[in-house]
Amino acid sequence: MFKLFLKIATRYLLKNKLYSFINIFGLAIGIASFVLIMLYVNYERSYDKFEGSENVHRVFMDYLEGGEYVPGDANAYIVSGPALKEEFPEIENFVRFRRIRDLVVLNNNTPYDGIVGSLADPEYFDVFDHGLVKGDVNTALNEPYSVVLSTSVAQKLFGDGNPIGQSLKIAGDATVTFTVTGVMDNTNRNTHIKNDLLISFKTFYTWKIFENDWKYTWNQNEYYTYVKVAANTDVELLNKKIMAFVPKGFEFKERHHMEPIESIHLYSNKPYEAGTNGNGNNIKLLSIIAFITLLLSWMNYMNLSSSKSLERAKEIGIRKVVGGKKSQLTLQFLSESALLNFMAILLALGAVFLLLPGFNAMVGQNLGLDGTQLTALMPYLGIMLLGASLAALYPAFVLSRFNPAKVLKGQVQTSKNGLHFRRALIITQFVATISLLICTLMANKQINFLKNRPIGANLDQVVALKGQILDRAYDSIFYKDFDVLLEELKRSPYVAEVGCTGTYPGDDFSNMNSNIQLTFPDGHTDETHIWYNYGARPNYFNLMGMDFVAGNAFLQTAEKWSHNVVVNEEMVRFMGIEDPNALIGETIKFWGQDWTVSGVVEDYNHFGMKSAVVPIIIRHDRNTQNVLVKLDQKAITMAGVDKALNELEQTWHQVFPVSTYNYTFLDQKFQALFNEDQKFAKAFQIFTLLAILIASLGLFGLTSYTCIQRKKEIGVRKVNGATIAQILQLLNQNFIKWVGLAFVIAVPIAWFAMDKWLEGFAYKTTISWWVFVLGGLVALSIAILTVSWQSFRAAIANPVESLRDE
Amino acid sequence: MLLQLNNIFKWVNSGGQRIFLLKDINLNVNEGEFISIMGPSGSGKSTLLNVIGMLDGFDEGEYHFLEESVHSLKEKHRANLYKEYIGFVFQSYHLLDELTVKENLEMPLLYKKFKGSERKAMVADMLDRFNIVGKKDLFPAQLSGGQQQLVGIARALISNPKLILADEPTGNLNSAQGEEIMELFKKLNEEDGVTIIQVTHSEKNAAYGSRIINLLDGRKV
Ligand SMILES: Nc1ncnc2c1ncn2[C@@H]1O[C@H](COP(=O)(O)OP(=O)(O)O)[C@@H](O)[C@H]1O
Ligand SMILES: [Mg+2]
Repeated sequence: MFKLFLKIATRYLLKNKLYSFINIFGLAIGIASFVLIMLYVNYERSYDKFEGSENVHRVFMDYLEGGEYVPGDANAYIVSGPALKEEFPEIENFVRFRRIRDLVVLNNNTPYDGIVGSLADPEYFDVFDHGLVKGDVNTALNEPYSVVLSTSVAQKLFGDGNPIGQSLKIAGDATVTFTVTGVMDNTNRNTHIKNDLLISFKTFYTWKIFENDWKYTWNQNEYYTYVKVAANTDVELLNKKIMAFVPKGFEFKERHHMEPIESIHLYSNKPYEAGTNGNGNNIKLLSIIAFITLLLSWMNYMNLSSSKSLERAKEIGIRKVVGGKKSQLTLQFLSESALLNFMAILLALGAVFLLLPGFNAMVGQNLGLDGTQLTALMPYLGIMLLGASLAALYPAFVLSRFNPAKVLKGQVQTSKNGLHFRRALIITQFVATISLLICTLMANKQINFLKNRPIGANLDQVVALKGQILDRAYDSIFYKDFDVLLEELKRSPYVAEVGCTGTYPGDDFSNMNSNIQLTFPDGHTDETHIWYNYGARPNYFNLMGMDFVAGNAFLQTAEKWSHNVVVNEEMVRFMGIEDPNALIGETIKFWGQDWTVSGVVEDYNHFGMKSAVVPIIIRHDRNTQNVLVKLDQKAITMAGVDKALNELEQTWHQVFPVSTYNYTFLDQKFQALFNEDQKFAKAFQIFTLLAILIASLGLFGLTSYTCIQRKKEIGVRKVNGATIAQILQLLNQNFIKWVGLAFVIAVPIAWFAMDKWLEGFAYKTTISWWVFVLGGLVALSIAILTVSWQSFRAAIANPVESLRDE
Repeated sequence: MLLQLNNIFKWVNSGGQRIFLLKDINLNVNEGEFISIMGPSGSGKSTLLNVIGMLDGFDEGEYHFLEESVHSLKEKHRANLYKEYIGFVFQSYHLLDELTVKENLEMPLLYKKFKGSERKAMVADMLDRFNIVGKKDLFPAQLSGGQQQLVGIARALISNPKLILADEPTGNLNSAQGEEIMELFKKLNEEDGVTIIQVTHSEKNAAYGSRIINLLDGRKV
């Protein structure tokens, strides 16, 4: 019996190709969008989930901001972990990481860079529930100068050979030898704190690289600290106790604070994060879109199939008259629905497979449809099946309810309720699409606004050169050679200017120094903010096109470095000083030293456009971290950028033959800070377009439904003198009214959503009225086009056809 | 002369074959005539009526209506012509279910550039003339078939056409109701001078007309 139903269903779908296509296509778009988005969402939510991760928390620091504690720093102190463990029995274990910057590993003098590594306590394996594929987990990080590698780094360094017991060196201090004691598998470990190389924490106490660091004190605050609390711990209570806890010798106006490790990736965005985290709000928004598109496609399906059912009224009438039972009819239409939904799901899965590479490129992930990913989608499968069955039941229900006597007389009168229901579906669809449209337009407006906002520094054609020498120490000879490098670079025809700096606008946050105590010239000491500072050489400002509002760039001294500093205008404002000139020559104190202000520069956005300008101090320093090169616009236009870059690299390697080298264009790096937002905006855009497409299909369905239903009316009106234009108006005005109603509902929704979204930005574009109007007009035009396609056909039809008396 | 059909042919092509719906129809109708068209089912009566009403085209021949050559008119002019001069009455009335009697009557006027006050007066006049003032706010479904056809005729008459085309106007009515409609047609024809062409199956109804045209297989007999 079912086989017969399927056969009829197939025949029917084939006979109505356009209808079947639109229906399957609309459903497939919805399902494919849903699956793609949910794959991404699930991936983003899978960070730091491991056995026992619910008991692992990160310790970070709050600082006082205007009398209130705010999250200040993702790092804690080197002694935070030990002190907390000693004080609180609930804490079973802790692990500290200290990042090693610009890590270059040497294997038989072959350098490997781009590896992320840290010093780590041996408790890492317990706290993070991470085992070793090679080596002994109980001893691997116990001895100084032991390293544990990820499988990929081990493969890179030692190929297929056994890495255990192998030795390697680390650039910066090539006098000591490290021994590989373990290999860990990082694949499928999503974590906000990535480590491809772990060095035993004990190494810290003897290794020359850290000999200038004060050991074991409350001065060292660049330690990511994670604690494992006993299961069944009242975390809230423990957190309260930790916040109130003042360890011995701790003098700062800060406090310790815990957060669940599971929520860091999506919900933490503090200074000095271990990496770029995700954005929980964007993930929430995307999930909402996923459900909306799915919902829209179901609404669509109900709409289309129930409108199509009208054309089948006669078939149903006949089937009923010859004795078809209601249940049989229902079953027949259900099998049609099932077949259609099944095909849509197949098509959607095919589309997901095809689109996944492109989608991955867009979101910058490597999502796959493997077992774990699919399992993660299982909970949604229930929703999808439920929705699909409801959507499938509806037309079956409508169809089988037709009164055969009426239907056979040609009275295709369905209930008013059915029409109201379909109308509500369409209005809902348009509320969703217009809201999405307005949000898309606003998001683009905001991103363009930020991109075009003046930075306060000129990053055009500025390249940062960076490298590590591998064959010798950073001693006085190095500094001499470094000066040679600067001279040589300056001689190049492609180079307009050369400078040096510790960091630059758009650079990684971790390269910025900071301090919590700052004494103003009037003697007042502020302990309630983080004060950022970095070192630079005097010509940095000129090279970056940063203008002085008072004083100059440490020029009063001929020394290579001094205790002169330049501050920005925001700093002056913070100190409550009206005239920046009044600050020149004054003394400020931090790091236990006196510093003389030699100049005040105009404000610039060091941390990108998403955060507001903060007070910044730039120290006069004999800096060697980044060589900044301003390329000569004319010369590179003529010779080409590649040639100039080649020459820079050659010059570098002439001076430092054994070294790593890489370069970064400052403007690109600065704009890259928008990458996440841009990806999000793009994803938003694409799924908005799909939602519009689905809604248009729905509208198309409802129009054809209405045109059939009003066929007789159209005929009567035409015979009584209505023109085609008048009929078009008659048919279209309702749809336009609905879009208008949808617009009125969508405006506050979109306004609210965008207002919320913009809260995350320091600089906000205005929520302009034209964005709403444009969104509404686009939706309206799409609606009119969709509707007119059908209604025009109905309007030009010869009334004789519809009015024939049989 | 109100209208004149000369050697009208109408056909459809089906499966390579030409099927004639109307064959060599010649017909002169003067103003004030009351004509009945008769013939078996499928003989082309409705087709002929539609051609006269300009709702349908034809393939050969000439059609003059009030000195205008319908066959050479553009679609829009043709529509204007029938809008102004012709009213239609249907076997199944074709009233709009969602509109009241009053609104159904007003509907054609909406398409003919009458002012609101004018429309009101014309509708009131028509309701009065047909004795259906009491039913003006009812919907078609609340009326008997005869009453619905009364409204249908009233609607066809409301913009003062010269010609009424009625396709089996009594086909759905019982004989008493049918007789009433025929009396009405007769009255309209005699007292108001409206030209009427009706299709009917009943000899009795056909006799109300002044002339009977018989069709068979699309041809006048
Ligand atoms: N558009 C058309 N295409 C094909 N056949 C048609 C068309 N219109 C009418 N016919 C056929 O022409 C014949 C005459 O139809 P009609 O004028 O409605 O007859 P009557 O009104 O006399 O019963 C019928 O056989 C009908 O099926
Ligand atoms: Mg007929």
